[in-house]
Amino acid sequence: MVKLYGFTHSTCTRLVALVCKEKNIPYELVHVNLAKGEQKDPAFTANQPFGQVPYIDDEGFILYESRAIARYLSKKYPNQGTSLIPSDPKAEGLFEQAASIEAFNFTAFVAPIVAEKVFKPRRGLQPNEERVTELLAMLQGKMDAYDAILGKQKYLAGDSVTLADLSHLPHGTVFCQAGYAEVFESRPNLSRWWKDISSRPAWLAVKDGA
Amino acid sequence: MVLKLYGFATSTCTLRVAVVLKEKNVPFEFIPVDLLKGAHKAPEFTAYQPFGQVPYIDDNGLILYESRAIGRYIAAKYASQGTPLLPTDPTAIAFFEQAASTETSNYDPFVSGLAWELKFSMLFGGKTDEARAKSLQGQLSAKLDAYDVILGKQKYLAGNDITLADLFHLPYGAVVLDVGLDEFSSRPNVARWWKDISSRASWEAVKGGI
Repeated sequence: MVKLYGFTHSTCTRLVALVCKEKNIPYELVHVNLAKGEQKDPAFTANQPFGQVPYIDDEGFILYESRAIARYLSKKYPNQGTSLIPSDPKAEGLFEQAASIEAFNFTAFVAPIVAEKVFKPRRGLQPNEERVTELLAMLQGKMDAYDAILGKQKYLAGDSVTLADLSHLPHGTVFCQAGYAEVFESRPNLSRWWKDISSRPAWLAVKDGA
Repeated sequence: MVLKLYGFATSTCTLRVAVVLKEKNVPFEFIPVDLLKGAHKAPEFTAYQPFGQVPYIDDNGLILYESRAIGRYIAAKYASQGTPLLPTDPTAIAFFEQAASTETSNYDPFVSGLAWELKFSMLFGGKTDEARAKSLQGQLSAKLDAYDVILGKQKYLAGNDITLADLFHLPYGAVVLDVGLDEFSSRPNVARWWKDISSRASWEAVKGGI
């Protein structure tokens, strides 16, 4: 069984849990006590040198970085559950394009926004509102591009869902919960796509906890 | 038809593609996009690259953007020529994805942010946000401590063979060094690795501009 070392509400932990649900891969969540700084203990950093969650232990095979874990699990069980990464060279190229879009044209802006507006206040810190305004302005331009892409095809890599679409869910959901849903809802194609991926049973199963 | 690379001669992301093309001995035609004249925001450009960013490629009619996606596509398509940059064994692939993800989340945000604050913002009439630069430097420093641990056990980020993941670090790493911020030399394993990858013939061929 895959042991998922993480935190139930962590965005990155929930991405791995989501892939496990999509692929019908049984997993056991091993709770890492972030509040006590367990992720910085030598026993943890021996497996994850950056002191971050999650990492997996798949029958002795240790891997970290949620996107890497997601890809590893998707490729290990290609014919089980939803197919998440195409194998045809052209389709794979377009998948890689979409995966890179998620990292650099979405999460790069959404993650720091939610860090400022959601995670900092939880730790008693004040958000940097100027930075949030700056990031949001840049994100709006990116979302216009998403709307253009999704006006021509159903999902980011083409007409089938891939891991690239699913990778938007954890941070995107916190972003919506923080009051920014209008950024997606005000753009028709983006809105359609967001409704589609965020209502997948696999996501609904883990969105409130891995 | 020879592969066409649309980009800017000294752009970090354009060079990220160029170094891979050189490493794989793939001939290409470089077509400059005049960023200073806003050519990347013109409809003729955004028809191909909806985010209005360089680079993109046209490989016999297949249009692909996002420099890391292009790098992966080239490395896979030309697997049997030049330097092998993508492993084929499943375990090695997983470690490659871990290293590639590490670059995107534990390196790029900090070095690209520093490159903006310390160099590029000035080119667009802005100025350095000293507080942000200092914060980014501190975060980069902590990440490179983890890099030094990893690289003390193996030659490259994914194992003992070079992969795309190592090469992807070159463009922003070079910009940050160029503006006088050296977080590599003080860490022996990182220093060894950086010297290795930055002295490769493929990087020497493009680092000054295409």
